[in-house]
Amino acid sequence: MTSIHLPSRPAEGARAAGAMLSAFRLGAGQTLAGWQVLAGRCIFYVIILVVLAALWDKVAAERLPGTLAGQLPPGGLALYIGVTEWITLALPAVHLRMEDDIRSGGLEPHLLRPKSYLAQTFSQSLGAAAVRLAALGATALALLAASGREPPPLEAFPYIVVLGGLGVVVGILLYALAGLMALWARRSLPFQLVIQKLMFLLGGLYAPVTLYPPVLEAVAKASPFAAHLYWPSAQAIAPSWDGFLMGLAWQGLWILVLALACAWLWRRGLAKVLREGGV
Amino acid sequence: MSAVITIANLRKQYSYARRGRGLLGGFSPQHVSIDAVDGVSFEIGRGERVAVIGPNGAGKSTTLKILSGILEPTSGQASVLGLTPWRDRRALAYRIGVVFGQRSQLWGELPARDSFSQLRHIYDQDKAVFEKRLGEMVERFALAELLDQPVHRMSLGQRMRCEITASLLHGPGLLFLDEPTIGLDVTAKAAIRDFIRDHARDHGQTVLLTSHDTRDIELVCDRVIVVNAGRVVVDQPTDQLRKRFLGRKVVTLLSAGPQIVVDLPGVTRRASQAHAVVLDVDTRLVRVEQVIAAALARGGVEDITIEDPPMEEVIHDIYSSAVAAR
Amino acid sequence: MIAFIRLYALQAGAAIRMSFADRANFALQVAGMAVNNLVFLTLWVLFFAGFRSVGGWGFADMALLLGLTMTIVGTCGALFGGYRDMAVSILRGELDALLTQPKGLISRLLARESLAIAWGDLACGIMILVLFAKVDLADLPLLLVALSAGLTVYLSAAISFACLAFWAAGARSFARDLTDFTLLFSSYPGSIHQGAVKVLAYSVLPAGFVVMAPVEMLREPSLRSIVVVLSAAIAYAALAGGLFHLGLKRYRSGASAA
Repeated sequence: MTSIHLPSRPAEGARAAGAMLSAFRLGAGQTLAGWQVLAGRCIFYVIILVVLAALWDKVAAERLPGTLAGQLPPGGLALYIGVTEWITLALPAVHLRMEDDIRSGGLEPHLLRPKSYLAQTFSQSLGAAAVRLAALGATALALLAASGREPPPLEAFPYIVVLGGLGVVVGILLYALAGLMALWARRSLPFQLVIQKLMFLLGGLYAPVTLYPPVLEAVAKASPFAAHLYWPSAQAIAPSWDGFLMGLAWQGLWILVLALACAWLWRRGLAKVLREGGV
Repeated sequence: MSAVITIANLRKQYSYARRGRGLLGGFSPQHVSIDAVDGVSFEIGRGERVAVIGPNGAGKSTTLKILSGILEPTSGQASVLGLTPWRDRRALAYRIGVVFGQRSQLWGELPARDSFSQLRHIYDQDKAVFEKRLGEMVERFALAELLDQPVHRMSLGQRMRCEITASLLHGPGLLFLDEPTIGLDVTAKAAIRDFIRDHARDHGQTVLLTSHDTRDIELVCDRVIVVNAGRVVVDQPTDQLRKRFLGRKVVTLLSAGPQIVVDLPGVTRRASQAHAVVLDVDTRLVRVEQVIAAALARGGVEDITIEDPPMEEVIHDIYSSAVAAR
Repeated sequence: MIAFIRLYALQAGAAIRMSFADRANFALQVAGMAVNNLVFLTLWVLFFAGFRSVGGWGFADMALLLGLTMTIVGTCGALFGGYRDMAVSILRGELDALLTQPKGLISRLLARESLAIAWGDLACGIMILVLFAKVDLADLPLLLVALSAGLTVYLSAAISFACLAFWAAGARSFARDLTDFTLLFSSYPGSIHQGAVKVLAYSVLPAGFVVMAPVEMLREPSLRSIVVVLSAAIAYAALAGGLFHLGLKRYRSGASAA
């Protein structure tokens, strides 16, 4: 029989980290177990890159006067899209998982455990995302080699990997916000759809936000959606240390803000669940 | 015996808005309140194995949820292992194990081993202690071939063995089980009952179990609390309850020809049909095999079914008896 | 034939009523899909505002493509919604119950579900065709031909992909992926593709015949373009029917992956 143990704060922190790491491995393992779905995702990635690259290459080749074509980078946008889609397709549907747990009473086993549901779910999603990033990244490199296209300069790769990984963290937090809304609305779909469309628009999924009118560009760059997509992907077409630092700063800020927002929403929602026995 | 669980006047009221009739009904909902738990009090001592039984909607699961910390009561007090469950939920979690028969705590797509490993980290378990405990349970529950199998590919019985193992890996002193044998076949039920009882005895563990199956109560628990409509109706040792209420069996005899008549003391006929007769057998007065032998001696038996009386009937008998005793 | 259509209408009607049962959820899904489609439209508006045209395709052509795609996908989802999870049904052995009933297995598989989101697609598709695609009333007959033929190709392709489930258990997610890939190709201007990709779009993932060829038929009507569109519809329908028939034979013999 165990006795009451009250671990010290640092020990508690270390144990929480250990549990999160274990959840990360679990998420990674689950994604690897569903390798067929992962393979389908990689093929989707290839096809969408082929289509979008064809689109942007055509636009760049035609270079119609009086259009924005003159502002496109010399190599076209294929590399940029390669990174935006790499991040987008690596995002796990954490909002659906949370919605399912919330609606089906699947929160109960988690609430009976001594670790935070939010932290565990986040870590598990991160593990899933890590596997997807690796698989999609390998696919991207293979496609790049096969296409004979000029790759980004070597210095860009560490920037892309770091900012891309943190960009996925921003994306998971944004989707987690949508998922947590299910504690009140019972559905995450409308919130997730709005967030996703904002990611496309203000994150610059199909084209860098630098092509937007100045006001929209400024708004986009300051938004969490650019932290998710634009800043990592911009390194593929114009890598720079300054750009990397800027991206890192925006991502750091938004990760902190979004994490606090998630924690706040979870606390409020949990109090409701404990009071009402469900949603 | 020191009290592990103490609850006093526990109440849980749920309210919801019932939509009114017609087009404008949505604008004038009626607020309806349900008393899921209505003034429940009891104490459970260390090492006791207690069954909480009652019909559907009696408040069993609600009580269990309050005691495990995942539901706040409307009023009343509760102390579990010296902690207030809904306030000290995380601290309590380290010291209790919970199994919900209808909800899994394992990660379905992954092998059972991975689920157990994940739980080791969640409960901050020392690796050596964990491995030893797991080894013991793997042997006791014959889980060796199941460890590397994804949970969602297991049968219900196999899964329940893993669920119970998972709930015990952190060595909790108190185990809550909500319908642990629901949906299982006879053999699986027996395995689980034996394990729970023996493990609790060997480790001095306290067990609180809810069930619809009277055999769960008889074979695992030494005390029974009967709840109905959110209140405690009876709180007695199992022996006493067995003598009064649980010693009944329902035997159905199907025949091709006329109904089979069994005339023995302790056997009462229920409402029957043309080729089927349903008998109430009081096992304190006559053994089931005597009844069967008598039926077979008459000849013409096509099928025999032996069942426990429905829980609702048992509860009804208990309740009626309790009311009559007042 | 009339009896068959009447029976189908009854089954599909029941499925539609079922999808409508949870009204709040239905409204949410329709609204969600509508928002989704409108954002894509907005992105294209922005694109053509910035770049004017690509490969000779302007905004009106893109609107026509999008309008056709959404209307086709919406109609399929609303009236033939069972196509989406057909592979899963086959793998779960759900055909067993249906095989014991007389007549029309494929039609029963298609009619058993109606997707709420499809109505969002349908509404947006029609709106885009009317408002942005620059189609006149005179184009209506050809538009209907385009929609019917495109729908036939899309549905036939989806059924053909689902038939993979008769042979391989891994087809569960892959069949749906293939349908999504086809849809992907159908959502971008046809003028951007060349070489092997173009071959792919006019064969295995027949986005070319779902929308690209119909768009060209509507923009530059000719006997040749009409014949191409109609022949493709007939060919893909025949392929789907043939694959299903072969797969069903295998299923009945007990050799399938189900």
